[in-house]
Amino acid sequence: MADPAVMAGGFSAVRSGGGKATSSPAENYQLARRRTLQVVVSSLLTECGFESAEKAAVESLTEMIQSYISEVGRCAKAYCEHTARITPTLSDTVVTLIEMGFNVNTLPVYAKRSQRMVITAPPVTNAPVIPKALIAGQKRTHPSHIPSHFPEFPDPHTYIKTPTFREPVSDYQVVREKAASQRRDVERALTRFMAKTGETQSLFKDDITAFPLIAARPSSIPYLSALLPSELELQTLEETDSSEQDDQTDSENTFLSDDPGADKENSMLPPGGVVPSVKASEENMIDNPYLRPVKKPKVRRKK
Amino acid sequence: MNRKKDKGFESPRPFKLTHQVVCINNINFQRKSVIGFVELTIFPTVVNLNRIKLNSKQCRIYRVRVNDLEAPFIYNDPTLEVCHHESKQRNLNYFSSAYTAAVSAVDPDAGHGELVIKVPSELWKQGDEMNVLKVYIEFSLDQPKGGLHFVVPDVEGSMAERGAHVFSFGYQNSTRFWFPCVDSYSELCTWKLEFTVDASMVAVSCGDLVETVYTHDMRKKTFHYVLPIPTAASNISLSVGPFEILVDPYMHEVTHFCLPQLLPLLKHSMSYLHEIFEFYEEILTCRYPYSCFKTVFVDEAYVQVSSYASMSIFSTNLLHSAMIIDQTPLTRQCLAQALAQQFFGCFISRMSWADEWVLKGISGYIYGLYLKKTFGVNQYRHWIKEELDKMVEYELKMGGLPVGSNGHLTCPTPHLHFSIKHPHTLSWKYYKMFQCKAHLVMRLIENRISMEFMLQVFNKLLSLASTASSQKYQSHMWSQMLVSTHSFLKSISNVSGKDIGPLIKQWVDQSAVVKFFGSFAFNRKRNVLELEIRQDYTSSGTQKYVGPIKVTVQELDGSFNHTLQIEENSLKHDIPCHSKSRRNKKKKIPLMNGEEVDMDLSAMDADSPLLWIRIDPDMSILRKVEFEQADFMWQYQLRYERDVVAQEESILALEKFPTPASRLALTDILEQDQCFYKVRQGACFCLAKIANSMMSTWTGPPAMKSLFTRMFCCKSCPNIVKTNTFISFQSYFLQKTMPVAMAQLRDIQNLCPKDVLNFILDLIKYNDNRKNKFSDNYYRAELIDALTNSLTPAISISNEVRTVDNLNGDVRLILEEITRSLNMEKLLPSYRNTITVSCLRAIRMLQKNGHIPSDPSLFKSYAEYGHFVDVRVAALEAVVDYTRVDRSSVELQWLLNMVQNDPAHYIRHKILSMLGKNPPFTKAAESPLCNEALVDQLWKLMNSGTSHDWRLRCDAVNLYYTLFGLTRPSCLPLPELGLVLNLKEKKAVLNPTIKPEQGPDTTEMTGITMGGLITMETVSSVSMSSGVAPPPQGLKRKLDSVVGPLGSSSPEPGQVLQEEDTSKKFKIRVRISSAEDEIDMESPHDSQAFIHHHLNILERPSTPGKEPPAVDQAVLSLPVTPLPSSFGKESTSSSKHSGDHHHHHHHHEHKKKKKKKHKHKHKHKHESKDKERDSHAFSNSPASGRSVRSPSMSD
Repeated sequence: MADPAVMAGGFSAVRSGGGKATSSPAENYQLARRRTLQVVVSSLLTECGFESAEKAAVESLTEMIQSYISEVGRCAKAYCEHTARITPTLSDTVVTLIEMGFNVNTLPVYAKRSQRMVITAPPVTNAPVIPKALIAGQKRTHPSHIPSHFPEFPDPHTYIKTPTFREPVSDYQVVREKAASQRRDVERALTRFMAKTGETQSLFKDDITAFPLIAARPSSIPYLSALLPSELELQTLEETDSSEQDDQTDSENTFLSDDPGADKENSMLPPGGVVPSVKASEENMIDNPYLRPVKKPKVRRKK
Repeated sequence: MNRKKDKGFESPRPFKLTHQVVCINNINFQRKSVIGFVELTIFPTVVNLNRIKLNSKQCRIYRVRVNDLEAPFIYNDPTLEVCHHESKQRNLNYFSSAYTAAVSAVDPDAGHGELVIKVPSELWKQGDEMNVLKVYIEFSLDQPKGGLHFVVPDVEGSMAERGAHVFSFGYQNSTRFWFPCVDSYSELCTWKLEFTVDASMVAVSCGDLVETVYTHDMRKKTFHYVLPIPTAASNISLSVGPFEILVDPYMHEVTHFCLPQLLPLLKHSMSYLHEIFEFYEEILTCRYPYSCFKTVFVDEAYVQVSSYASMSIFSTNLLHSAMIIDQTPLTRQCLAQALAQQFFGCFISRMSWADEWVLKGISGYIYGLYLKKTFGVNQYRHWIKEELDKMVEYELKMGGLPVGSNGHLTCPTPHLHFSIKHPHTLSWKYYKMFQCKAHLVMRLIENRISMEFMLQVFNKLLSLASTASSQKYQSHMWSQMLVSTHSFLKSISNVSGKDIGPLIKQWVDQSAVVKFFGSFAFNRKRNVLELEIRQDYTSSGTQKYVGPIKVTVQELDGSFNHTLQIEENSLKHDIPCHSKSRRNKKKKIPLMNGEEVDMDLSAMDADSPLLWIRIDPDMSILRKVEFEQADFMWQYQLRYERDVVAQEESILALEKFPTPASRLALTDILEQDQCFYKVRQGACFCLAKIANSMMSTWTGPPAMKSLFTRMFCCKSCPNIVKTNTFISFQSYFLQKTMPVAMAQLRDIQNLCPKDVLNFILDLIKYNDNRKNKFSDNYYRAELIDALTNSLTPAISISNEVRTVDNLNGDVRLILEEITRSLNMEKLLPSYRNTITVSCLRAIRMLQKNGHIPSDPSLFKSYAEYGHFVDVRVAALEAVVDYTRVDRSSVELQWLLNMVQNDPAHYIRHKILSMLGKNPPFTKAAESPLCNEALVDQLWKLMNSGTSHDWRLRCDAVNLYYTLFGLTRPSCLPLPELGLVLNLKEKKAVLNPTIKPEQGPDTTEMTGITMGGLITMETVSSVSMSSGVAPPPQGLKRKLDSVVGPLGSSSPEPGQVLQEEDTSKKFKIRVRISSAEDEIDMESPHDSQAFIHHHLNILERPSTPGKEPPAVDQAVLSLPVTPLPSSFGKESTSSSKHSGDHHHHHHHHEHKKKKKKKHKHKHKHKHESKDKERDSHAFSNSPASGRSVRSPSMSD
């Protein structure tokens, strides 16, 4: 991947003189095909009685025929894939041609016309080599229920984990070292960023950028941030909890069975006072004056 | 007071309160105001009850009605301004006595009060039978400075969304700040409480919530509470806010309240309250006395815990999540304290201040039992030792701390700068030590009569009280709910049959502690231990102990207790030893607890069988013991004695023996898992000290480093600490402490060893809490503390400015860590911002050691209102320290300004107490800060600026004492010069600048005398202050300068004015005579003031809670010399105009007329008269024209 870029940058100018033909096999292959098409166009023109043609006209016609053929190919492939095959059949092509408004019945006649010219076969050029995919293991064979004409399994490394044979950095010290320095770098970068973008306070008078401190900003409800665990902490708590849950569930079943009850009671506290029907009977037993509904004022009717 | 020794309780009032209604109709959070009324049902106990005295502070009273008849009243509060208008008195003795007099003048325990209501004459003679009187008082509070605290966060939204709340607070009996009542712990009555609040709010108060009713517009709710158990007004409280409600899952009659969003924390923090309940109910064999219990967690709390009848108010900062380790025990302890006070303090109240120690003692004692049960015997004994040491230290420093009964009244305390006769005049520190001593004394009683009897006594008190509480008022049983020293002692002797009189006499009535010095010699021939116990009973705060003392001797054959008698002249005690000395006999050695252990006996003296000796091991005397024994004995004691107190004592002693053997003993303790963690923590610090003393001979890595590595670092890579788990709390505490102790190590250059610093930096770097279910915030904070500890003074080239470039490399690393941690706190704040707190301390330390420029601005920004309270306190501490080190008057002013203006009461209190602890200067030293202006400012602060908060005023007094001492501050001009001026004064020019003040002044002269007590106080204070009374030189200067220009424009402005003024007085006088039959107040002073107050009504409708504006103006108007306000009066009275004989005479006559009591004194020389006048000024202060200005219902 890196090579063409380097070439484009560094050497292409130097080589441009003699290097065009030899640029790449794929390019050669296409040029050869194009040339054949030009020959075809020319012969057809001759067939029609033209003696000469402008190069531009030939070029345009070549372009048209190429588009036509490409479209036929593309369409045929689409039909074939639509029926879950990978190689187009004759009928695919026929349908395509019909679709494109071509009368297929005229084709055999046209092919057997007398004045047709025979064109020499295009020069043999090597078909471009598809770079070989990395084979990193034994390809799986089809299981019995899959017909053999179906495509082969891709290379195993593309769908299962690739076994690596060199041990990753398992040295505990290195891992810890890395984690620590990574965290420190992130923290430092983050705090520096915050310090740069916001107000700061400084410990030194001569160089106020030396150890920037994010300015202290009073908050209107300071106890909230100071008392409530941060989201990050909650997250870790959940993680550690879930990992420990397995151990606990067995031993502390009794405890856990108590707890939901407690939670239920609290959940009904919010002002609505709508008791979830599930445990209504149990909860009704809690007679706490703060849970009772607020009374309506007595309306005094004067008679 | 009126308490009879062996009878029941006798009320000091001529009436008995039976029921009180408090109704608060409106609470306005925007304006911070409250409107409501109270109705007191009283039974007169005398035939002609014509006056009713109630307590009320800062309330504006609109009308008073007695049985539906309008009643005239006087409202005056002498504590608003303690010393009126005086300029010369700046000594604390004078202030203290004046303050005590003022407080006593309205003391409900003596039957006094700020609000005097005259019972309409129609109701006087309603026959002989006692008729019920209903006293109805309408009042309001506007921006109360004390009593009620409004917290209104400045954010968008409705008050409920903003989390605005209000709660009552106060130190001791402070209910008078928010509604008129009899603010005494001994006046019990039943209650009906009604609070109408916004529909989104909850009002939590004492008693049972009977119902909640919407108002007609459905916008508000009224909470109706009924408290059928007779309760003192001082135990009534209120909190209103948009609280989240949590019904305790274990006890449905218990309800918890917290501010919005904190419910998860509340759930966790309250999850063990039921255990505390169960514990107390079990040991007291008594149900919780109230039918419900409420806990409310509020912001900006005055104290962490305050208990009221059936509810407690806590600081919201006690709430914590399950991730927090360190706060958990602290919160539980606070809950336990609150609950203990519910039984003793709220349900059972006290007869008088002298009996307070019983309540504090019992609640502290049962709290101790809870500690023992929940946190273990080690924790309990550690706590007792800690409390004992604290208390002993305080007593030795202050010279005595009598806690109870007779002590209050008889024990002279001239060494104290405050009076202990009244709770409101006490220093806060004293009050804390008082509580400490109270529970220690209870423990001594327990030692004497056994715990079983002790609990029986408590049960008896409780059951008597609960029987009484269910009775009707008429049965006169309610006084059974009051405890007194006498009744407590009687119960004890009834239950146990023991007389603990001497014990009480020694520890309660008498102040001071015992100081023992012990040493010993072993007499091999007689196989006897010769123990010498000496006492120091001559230095202040000590007393002589005579009686038994327990000595425990650990010998090779076992541990033996001996009880020795300490007698008058016997110092030496011979104790026979049980075992012969023998070496190398392999035999296990039995310990006190029956355990038998192997010991390496090679260290001990071959001739002696003694391993260690302990004097008074059970702490059954309030004492300090200094005992001498050999280092190896201390080491044995540390290793093998199982009592944590002994272990801690030996750790302390080993500091003096820096030897390899001590090192080994300490290291062994550190490694021992079974050892109590606090002992191990102590061992860390001791080891650091020993290592520093042994610097030259120390071998191996720095102390504790390898130990820490072994315990807490990875096996494979010893420089990296394990990821945190904190599963074992013992190890957690050790892990936290060791780095802090290690950082105290020093090398030969007196620097922290490079090894250690890098080690700590690595701990911070590799700290990994991702897999931990606990928060590591306290651990990280302690690591920052460790960095702080490692700092040493910078090598400074003289007066060099600290810059970034010349920063030392190590310090740069430290500073980087601190900067990063502090910045991270902004993004991910830690619980209670512990890390910010540590960082601020570290930065101050860097400044102090000269590594970075000393600058208070950072701390000042963190100290602003709106930061978390712990952060503010840490920042303020740094500013206080800066003020002292840099002698900065700007910062001192800034701090004092905050003391006056900060919304949070706790912060104000904290600033003053920190200033007291770390004073900018002391009375002993000279300082540029010590100047007249500061003296005046502080004087004003304690005189009038802190009248809304007893605690704060006492803090100010404390600070004044620390800075200037008891006598006149040295920075003021010499009193002798003032005296000269004083002599001249009578002939001196009348100062014309006092014009606006004359009216009130003259009235003040003729003020109310509040009963006999205050007069007594006055006399004593006169004698005290006479020597130093006269005005300072500054006054003279000022007078001259003022008189100069003014005098030239109008020659005798003062004279004219004086005449006007006197004519006014005559008018008043006339009114009095005409009014006297209508308003029958005993003394003419009273009626004078009363009328004056009537005259003043229209001019001054303001509430008395505010600073009198006139004074302020006077201060401001004074040019140049900062001597404030009060000089006006003196100069008026003793007019300086040499020729102004007329005025003078007039003045004289006036006095004669009005002050018959003091008539005889007028025969004295002028000089003495002037002094006398000064004393009047303050003695009469209660009636000053200024104070008497509540709006009244004269029509």
